[in-house]
Amino acid sequence: MSQQDPFGNQVNIPRLEPPSVSPNVILYVVALIAVLALLGTSIYQVEPDEVGVVLRFGAYVTSTPPGLHAKLPFGIDQVETIEVRRQKTAEFGFRSQQTGQFASRAFADESNMLTGDLNAAVVEWVVQYRIEDPVSFLFKVRNGTDTFRDMSEAVMREVVGDRTVNEVLTVGRQEVAAVVKVQLQRLSDLYEIGIRVDQVVLQDVTPPPSVKPAFNEVNEAEQVKSRLISEAQAEYNQVIPKSRGQAQQTILAAEGYATDRINRAKGEAARFTSVYDQYRQAPEVTRKRIYLETMREVLPEIGRKVVVDDDIRGLLPLLDLGGNRAPGGQ
Amino acid sequence: MQRVALGFLLLLAGLVLMSSAYVVPEWEQVVITRFGKPVGQPITTPGLKFRTPFIDKVRRFDKRFLEWDGKVTEIPTKEKRNILVDTYARWRITDPLEFLESLRDYSSALSRLDGILNGETRDAVARHDLAELIRTTDREPAQDESQHQDETTTLESISLGRETIRQELLANAKKQIASQGWGIELLDVQFKRINYVEDVRESVFARMIAERQRIADRFRSEGEGEASRIRGDKERELKEIQSEAYRQAQEIVGTADAEATRIYAEAYNRSKDSREFYEFLKTMESYRDTVDKDTWMVLSTDSDFYRFMVESDF
Repeated sequence: MSQQDPFGNQVNIPRLEPPSVSPNVILYVVALIAVLALLGTSIYQVEPDEVGVVLRFGAYVTSTPPGLHAKLPFGIDQVETIEVRRQKTAEFGFRSQQTGQFASRAFADESNMLTGDLNAAVVEWVVQYRIEDPVSFLFKVRNGTDTFRDMSEAVMREVVGDRTVNEVLTVGRQEVAAVVKVQLQRLSDLYEIGIRVDQVVLQDVTPPPSVKPAFNEVNEAEQVKSRLISEAQAEYNQVIPKSRGQAQQTILAAEGYATDRINRAKGEAARFTSVYDQYRQAPEVTRKRIYLETMREVLPEIGRKVVVDDDIRGLLPLLDLGGNRAPGGQ
Repeated sequence: MQRVALGFLLLLAGLVLMSSAYVVPEWEQVVITRFGKPVGQPITTPGLKFRTPFIDKVRRFDKRFLEWDGKVTEIPTKEKRNILVDTYARWRITDPLEFLESLRDYSSALSRLDGILNGETRDAVARHDLAELIRTTDREPAQDESQHQDETTTLESISLGRETIRQELLANAKKQIASQGWGIELLDVQFKRINYVEDVRESVFARMIAERQRIADRFRSEGEGEASRIRGDKERELKEIQSEAYRQAQEIVGTADAEATRIYAEAYNRSKDSREFYEFLKTMESYRDTVDKDTWMVLSTDSDFYRFMVESDF
């Protein structure tokens, strides 16, 4: 159609019309979209450690193993995939990754508990479990994971509450874990929660922080006791064997003396006997001989000798002990 | 024109269909209400269902076990010890129709449960001693080698125990709930946590510390006692060994001396003659041993030795 522009000139404006599309093309496009939607909502994947729970119009129909599967499209079939083969861990009293200061308060609430002797203990533990029955886990209990945590806490406290603080800290740890596992499984079965408890492991089990030094003191005192005893033992072991050795020595010395004394006596007796036998054969002569022999030996040894005659009178019996030779007789 | 009308009719039919169909999933149960009043029986089986469109309303209720968490409350036990008790329970809606008519919704259900469960818990705690609430059995505790025989490592005996009390609590609560006609049932109730009140905690810790220190003292004194016993043994044995050795030595010496004396006597003492001769010999020997350069001696010419010097006839 022709029109006039603002300057009054004749302008030929072409008529704008929507591109002509045949009704068939529209149909094809709609069909394509429908097919794509069909494909998109009728295929799903189940990961290797999962199970696929298939609901048709909300009702459970089947569970599917890992892999690629088909389902009814357009939301008729809904699939919930849930990990069943992978072992899950529930931590109590601590978390593997530190989440901050404010969080540790919550963990303390999880781990403080009373023991059978009405003492207090701080217990950290883990529960390793698997979702064995995904249908039960999803449809029997709401918030299965939280419920399982509540159950674990209740069971642990029941078991710890039946034991002394000593048992929980030392000798009874294995037993507590074993009993908790059994009772937790029993409770899980009652709640139809579909969980298999694999393992319960106690981690750090300690007395409350303010009491810990006193517990350490007991350990130290035990060591002190050991030390005192072995010190005394060492002293004993040092002294007694040595004294036994010395005792031996004393006795041997006495024996030595004895032998010596007797041999000497025997020797002297034998010597006397042979001299005496000789003497008996010629007594006077032997006596004289021995006497004179002795004098021969002895007199030269005497440093100062004075020989006086009894008949000589007038000689002053003056004895000069000053060292000079004595004045001789007349 | 016909086509458009057909299309419009189809659309309308589709709309009607869509608004009358509804899905009941596995975890839900449904009551249909019409103009505010329930119609028919509750629908508990899952699947695709249909209702009168626009008029009927679908009221959904969870079919699963639901949570109830009791607040931590301070409750006195029979011996008037205040403790902090934290319980939890699991319950479910068994009759959604009854539930709808009596309780209407979850929050009122929870507050009704509060009343019953808190009440039963308070009763259970107040009627029993603390030991009964903590302990379950009368078992013998396992002993640690470091413990003394007469130390109180046995647990005080109980008559009921935690589990019995809990079962009683559960049974009472179940009965109360059933009698109300609320359409719900209680599955389980548990003591999740029981703890001392803050100020009691301090005195409990003090008791534990004192107990540990007593054990530590015992170890130390045992150590000292044993050590002095060993030292005493050491002293005693030492004396024994030394005195025994001395005795034996003396005996040996004595015997030897006696033997020597006998040998001498045998030799010297056999007759008067031998005695005299022995004396003579011994005297001669002693002359040899007793004189030296510094000895002064005054000798007479009368002596046997010197007489020949003045005598002439011999």
